[in-house]
Amino acid sequence: MGRTGVTWLALLGAAAGVLVRGDTPLEPFPAYADSDICARLMVGPITDARTQCSRSTYKDGAEGVLVRLRDNLVLSVNKQKFLQERVGDFVSVTGEVKEKNGRIKVDSIKSIDLGSIPSGSVNKMLDVRQYKVTGEDAKIFEKIRHELAMLPYFSDYDYISFAFLGGEVILSGWTVRDINRGDAEHAAKSVKGVEHVTNNIDVLPLGSMDMTIRANTRLKLQRFLSRYFWGSGSDIKIIVKNGKTILLGQVTTKEDSDVAFIQANSVPGAFKVFNLLRVTGKGK
Amino acid sequence: MFKTNPYLRLAAVSLCAFLLTFGCSRPPQTFKQIPAGKEFSGFLSSYANLKLSPRFEGQVLTFAQPDAEKNLRRYVAIIVDPVETYITSDADQAKIDENARVSAVEYFRAALVQGVSDAFPVVYEKGPLVLRLRAALVGVDAGSEVTPEEGVAPEAAVKRALNINKVAVEMELIDSQTNEQIAAMVDRANLGAGAEAASLRTPREEKFRKAREAFDEWASRVRQFLDSESEIAGADADRVDKSYLPYNGR
Repeated sequence: MGRTGVTWLALLGAAAGVLVRGDTPLEPFPAYADSDICARLMVGPITDARTQCSRSTYKDGAEGVLVRLRDNLVLSVNKQKFLQERVGDFVSVTGEVKEKNGRIKVDSIKSIDLGSIPSGSVNKMLDVRQYKVTGEDAKIFEKIRHELAMLPYFSDYDYISFAFLGGEVILSGWTVRDINRGDAEHAAKSVKGVEHVTNNIDVLPLGSMDMTIRANTRLKLQRFLSRYFWGSGSDIKIIVKNGKTILLGQVTTKEDSDVAFIQANSVPGAFKVFNLLRVTGKGK
Repeated sequence: MFKTNPYLRLAAVSLCAFLLTFGCSRPPQTFKQIPAGKEFSGFLSSYANLKLSPRFEGQVLTFAQPDAEKNLRRYVAIIVDPVETYITSDADQAKIDENARVSAVEYFRAALVQGVSDAFPVVYEKGPLVLRLRAALVGVDAGSEVTPEEGVAPEAAVKRALNINKVAVEMELIDSQTNEQIAAMVDRANLGAGAEAASLRTPREEKFRKAREAFDEWASRVRQFLDSESEIAGADADRVDKSYLPYNGR
């Protein structure tokens, strides 16, 4: 076989490689480098609060992910080193996207300014420049919030986030019960003005270790912060996944938030605690 | 030989004891009988707190732990125990067909799992936040003789159906660690009227189909009970509503 034959073989191999790799071209696309926790918790516009959440949780050990701005698709990256120093930034990425698995094999990544991204290539739900929920949309937002709050099987170990704009709802968060995933979607769809619901709620595994962490964390928090716990629920939500605890909800003071963090950290088996409690500053 | 070798003598004595205990004994009783003249079977750990429920048609007694720290909302998963059987106090024990009984309780257990599992995911290990669902079919009697189905091995064939005409379901949810009763239900709605349970996988006869429907309905009522006890109402509902604020803001 001569040199020409070898070249043809190489070209054929490259073409076959492209076909095997899938249909997604390796063109750069804009994304937001996030932490997996904030991508699920703060679904919606990428505000300063979200950037802060992304950076602090990533620094504390959360996994870095990429959020494709076109459609809010959350992608796990093959190597975390690509995201070092970039979490909380907008980025331009090239790589092989496996949409089904929510993964990307990154080829290159560089930080960019939001201003350099044309608004047409960003989903309006994520774009702080376009996301304004006012008037009728604000009323619909409130109705969705109320419907989700009233889900009968929503427990202290579930948290559902959502964003709404122009008839579209994105649901996200974590639940220990399959029923909450379906009921939340049904509840959102039942609100007049909602046309489409994207359901990204994660159903948590019920391994005995995580169950023990859930129960013990609640026990400890209730002992020290009993005013936030009442008959059917609590102001503090405890999300546990594979030994990692996320504290969500609201408390009145920074001291209470710190107490919650210390107590959750003292639970045997909980090897990482992310404190995302909001401090309202308002007395009960 | 036995006189001279103490080890052989010990082995012979042990063998006799084993044969006496297991070889000659009857197979273990797989069902219990309702004591004569008693209102309940005795299956539940307590009947003391049961009250007639206005939520259900028919005679349905329920109890749900009122203590907020021990009520159903404190639990997230469930273990579903094998369903037990109580025959009527005047039933002829010898006529209870074991294959029919197994078919009925296995079908009912599967219906219970199907009914509750999306609200209370089914797990297999006891632990914190885990309930145990115990259920029994109470008031079973021997039914009519059945022609064994084709293709079924003789030892697995149902020869006599179970009469579930007057069956009630007794069910309780207990804490899987402390065994404390968290909720209970005695459902005496006459769902099994005209029904007989035999092989329930592909019931060809009307009375067997009716039995299947009755088991499905009992399971569905257990779920309705769990749903009703999980509803949030009154002042709690206001607080739950106020405390839920999404993180993304507006």
